[in-house]
Amino acid sequence: MTITLTINGERKTLEIAPDESLLDLLRREGHMGVKVGCRTGDCGACAVLLDGRAVNSCLVFAAKADGREVVTVEGLERDGLLHPVQRAFLDEGAVQCGYCTPGMVISAVDLLSRNPDPTEEEIRQGLSGNLCRCTGYVKQIRAVSRAAAVLRGGDVHA
Amino acid sequence: MISTGIREYLRPASLEEAWAAIAQCGSAASPVGGGIDVRLYATPNTTTLVDLAGLGLGYVRDAHGLAIGATTTFTEILESTPAKGYLDGILVDVLERVASPLQRNVGTVGGTLGSAHPWSDVIPLLLVLDAALLLYDGRERVLPLEEYLAARASAERPLIVEVRLPMPPPSSMGAFEAFTRTGFDVSILNCACLVSAEAGRCRAARIAVGGTPALATRLPAVERALTDAPLDDPTIDRIAALAGETIDARDDRRASAEYRRDLARVGLSRCLRRISEAGGNG
Repeated sequence: MTITLTINGERKTLEIAPDESLLDLLRREGHMGVKVGCRTGDCGACAVLLDGRAVNSCLVFAAKADGREVVTVEGLERDGLLHPVQRAFLDEGAVQCGYCTPGMVISAVDLLSRNPDPTEEEIRQGLSGNLCRCTGYVKQIRAVSRAAAVLRGGDVHA
Repeated sequence: MISTGIREYLRPASLEEAWAAIAQCGSAASPVGGGIDVRLYATPNTTTLVDLAGLGLGYVRDAHGLAIGATTTFTEILESTPAKGYLDGILVDVLERVASPLQRNVGTVGGTLGSAHPWSDVIPLLLVLDAALLLYDGRERVLPLEEYLAARASAERPLIVEVRLPMPPPSSMGAFEAFTRTGFDVSILNCACLVSAEAGRCRAARIAVGGTPALATRLPAVERALTDAPLDDPTIDRIAALAGETIDARDDRRASAEYRRDLARVGLSRCLRRISEAGGNG
């Protein structure tokens, strides 16, 4: 079957299998920032924005993306500048092995789009679908808080 | 994981078209709401997916209670003004702890009820809220959620179109409690209560317990024992103990039957105390 969707701003018409996941489609299209973790919706490593909402791409049929807009972690930067959430993850050192990072960043972008000034508890809730198996969550939470402050200040690429 | 037998993915534009596809394929067809459970649990004999996203069933309406379209996601419910205002926001309180934000952006109320997982936190809540379902199997009909769940094993299952929640009786208060190992895990046991109280006495009660590990059911004997009783500590202790004895508790890999009876007792006790403290004792 054929679907037409926008991936990171680029409109594409693609042939897909009826049982294909959005995760497999995106990786097949070269978006390797979409990580394969559990494939059961538990880890959040495969998170992408679908019409602005963070979803586990492993749990979404590729067919559901027809006519919709997908943004992967590679699509967040603008004009060569990292998104404030990406920048904040770097500045706070909120990375160890890095495998969970794209999914965390995507969840944080969704959270901040709806809640520009989240409490620590709201950030924890917002990242609750993303597992880090290296270390913990303290630096990620600080990073999201930092990104929120930057975004509220209107300096999108600070 | 995903079945390898899926051969076609249909996107009907009307209920009639969706039902025609399902009726034609029988058990080989699976309706798709958000698609999470289809991706995780579709059986190998599923050949045809029927995506309901094109039917315009994503809505929450204030309709002498609430009317929620089957393909409304949990995030959409959480963000809807009518849902926030329904019964002191109980839907929001419960749904914001269901699964993860990533899954709530995809999972739908119709999909959850169609799957009817025994650990579902949504089902006991909707049982005490006296939910009814608008169904379609060539014709529309309305069935109480309890009856839909009781008939769910039948060969030809109707499509869920809408979930309807009536206005609760006057002076009603609801409470929900769930026990999980982690915030994101499924419930080991959960319970929901809706109590209509007057002058410190319970006038009517609906109580449901799920994850026993069977699918959530109401506990009529416990509801009867609470009706017309004062909402005081001795009553709450008695009712909670009765609930622990009454549930169909069994062992599984998550917990023992004995532990589940304890959880039912503690859960009911917490729910009823919260209701009592919120004014049900006044």
